[in-house]
Amino acid sequence: MKPKKHSPLLNRTEPYLWILPSVLLMSIFIIVPIGCVFYMAFSKISKAGIVKGFNGIENFSKVLGSKAFSVVLSNTLVWTVVVVGLSTVLGFILALLLNNKFKGRKIARAIIVFPWATTLVIQACAWKFIIDTDYGALNTLLKSLGIISSNVNWTPTPGAYFAWEIACGIFVTIPFVCFTALSGLQSIDNSFYEAATVDGGNYWQQLFHITLPLVKPSLTVATVLNIIYVFNSFPIVWTITKGDPANRTDTLVTYLYKLAFYNGKQGEAAAVSVIGFLILLVCASLYMVSALKKGDE
Amino acid sequence: MMKMKKFIAMLLVLVMTLAVCGVAAYAEGEKVTVTMIAAQYGPKTGDWWADFEAKFEQSHPEIDLVVDVVSWNDIYTVVNTRLSNGNAPDLLNIDTFADYQADDLLLPAQDFVSPETYAKMYPAFLEQSVVDGVVWAVPDLASARAMYYNKDILAAAGVEVPTTWDELTAACEAIKAYNPDIYPWGIDMTTDEGQAAFAYYTWGNGGGFVDAEGNWALNSEENIAAVEYEIGLVKAGLTNSDPATNTRYDLQDLFCAGKLAMMIAPNALSAQAGEAGINYGFAAIPNNTGVSVSAGVMDRIMCFNNDQTEEEMAAITAVVDAFYDDVPYSEWVLMEGFLPATSAGGEACAAADPAMGAWIDIVGSAKFYPTAKAEWADVKQGVINVEQRALLGENVADLLNELQEEIAG
Repeated sequence: MKPKKHSPLLNRTEPYLWILPSVLLMSIFIIVPIGCVFYMAFSKISKAGIVKGFNGIENFSKVLGSKAFSVVLSNTLVWTVVVVGLSTVLGFILALLLNNKFKGRKIARAIIVFPWATTLVIQACAWKFIIDTDYGALNTLLKSLGIISSNVNWTPTPGAYFAWEIACGIFVTIPFVCFTALSGLQSIDNSFYEAATVDGGNYWQQLFHITLPLVKPSLTVATVLNIIYVFNSFPIVWTITKGDPANRTDTLVTYLYKLAFYNGKQGEAAAVSVIGFLILLVCASLYMVSALKKGDE
Repeated sequence: MMKMKKFIAMLLVLVMTLAVCGVAAYAEGEKVTVTMIAAQYGPKTGDWWADFEAKFEQSHPEIDLVVDVVSWNDIYTVVNTRLSNGNAPDLLNIDTFADYQADDLLLPAQDFVSPETYAKMYPAFLEQSVVDGVVWAVPDLASARAMYYNKDILAAAGVEVPTTWDELTAACEAIKAYNPDIYPWGIDMTTDEGQAAFAYYTWGNGGGFVDAEGNWALNSEENIAAVEYEIGLVKAGLTNSDPATNTRYDLQDLFCAGKLAMMIAPNALSAQAGEAGINYGFAAIPNNTGVSVSAGVMDRIMCFNNDQTEEEMAAITAVVDAFYDDVPYSEWVLMEGFLPATSAGGEACAAADPAMGAWIDIVGSAKFYPTAKAEWADVKQGVINVEQRALLGENVADLLNELQEEIAG
């Protein structure tokens, strides 16, 4: 069958028609909300959520002037850096292990997926239950093993609580890193290692001069995505401590949620949201610039 | 054939696009529609309202009643979103009203409640919804707090039920000496309900959120001493280990597991403790002044000003009247496990359940949060923050001075 010729107008517009649904979806669910948040951040909003007009940078100056904000910002940075950093290292090590051939490798890989496949809220509830002083699984286990005689308070300080939340964050982030790294590892041609072995390269030399450089692209993607996910993560902190006591375990996201829905300060909450958005935008742009540079090389 | 496939594909894309745009057309009936958002108090709330809706529409065929039951977790977000989209419900059942009133969104209570129904409400409850001399909302139910205690633990430790702070401290010490694995006293200073703890101790010491004129008085001498006493109990190891993250629900679980000897809780704990087989009792909250004050919590029904016609207002009044009708209303209150806000409901509930009688007396003497004041949301979070920071070792007087300055300064 001979292909029929379309009219020139249809030819020109057809591609746009095809991408129209995704463009519409993206504008409705991504661009419009971002615009709304910016609009709210520069507006005076009553407690009932009614916009009362433009108020310049008042929301921002209120947020930046509050004592809690610096605590919350530094918490967020610690949270993001430690969770992303440690889970990347641990996930990579795990990927190296899983890349070896051993019996039950398939089962081991399947087990790694579990933390990832479970909802974060459920994960956080489980962790909260494990570390609970009064009826936690950890105390019960240690008591039945005879290691401790009475319940231990695993969360005596806000710092301890935050450390547990970070541990939970790492636990749920590892699978993603592990699988991204594993896909990178599997794409490395075995002949590289054979050549290195022939030349007398030991395990560490192979790791640092062959494996790492070749896995780097997939690890970089995983890290950038993780920075965004972890920075914006809400369920773990909210489920375990709600940012209490006195904002010591709050991150930007839980803090802005409290501002908006507990304090009725939606304008200020939007301002915090914009600040977070800008921080992430800078991180993402840095990555894009460096990735594009590499592409040019 | 190809052309046909392409055409169908294009058509699908078009349909999807239209669906995304949310194009929907619906036919309008001749009925008067009354919309309502109701708070979900418990697992049976949704069914109760569905049943109410059906019965109401049967007896009022000219009215279409639409009730959305929304959980407490989401209700503020849902209401605010609808308000900012200009889609306010006619009736709303929620706890606070002052924020909506401050934006001139509400109608006075007497515009949407018939005089007969209005006359049934406890006047002390109506007073809690007054701004500028006008009542803006009517109470739908209330709950009051009392001190629950585990009779067996108190007997084993050899202590009487404490009525004053000194007795409370002594009782806690005796319980701790009797069994260090039992927490003598429960305190919740979490974001959930830390303001309640602030209220129990400051009211019990003659202080509170406001002074006699109704102005904010957060840093009064009485309040400072009260918060210091409360923090002192925690520091002395006489309470649950982590008041900043143990919510009242966690404490209630501990109480029902026999691991907590005493706590302040609403009447709903009776059912839970009874089911758990705890030999419990309840008494007035211990105080430092000789006058016990219970903390009352009250929820409300309010009506948004949507430029309703006379016909629509009549329909709204009919819904409110039907809701407060003695029989269904007292059934609803009993089902939810709260206390009634109308005198007829009170009598019906007391008759149905003798234990309710004591609670109805307690709620009669209760003090309420100053929710009618516009700064309440800030004060509520503020006092929670004060308690949590005091717990971390900061000076109570400084913290309360700072808060007072922020709110009223």
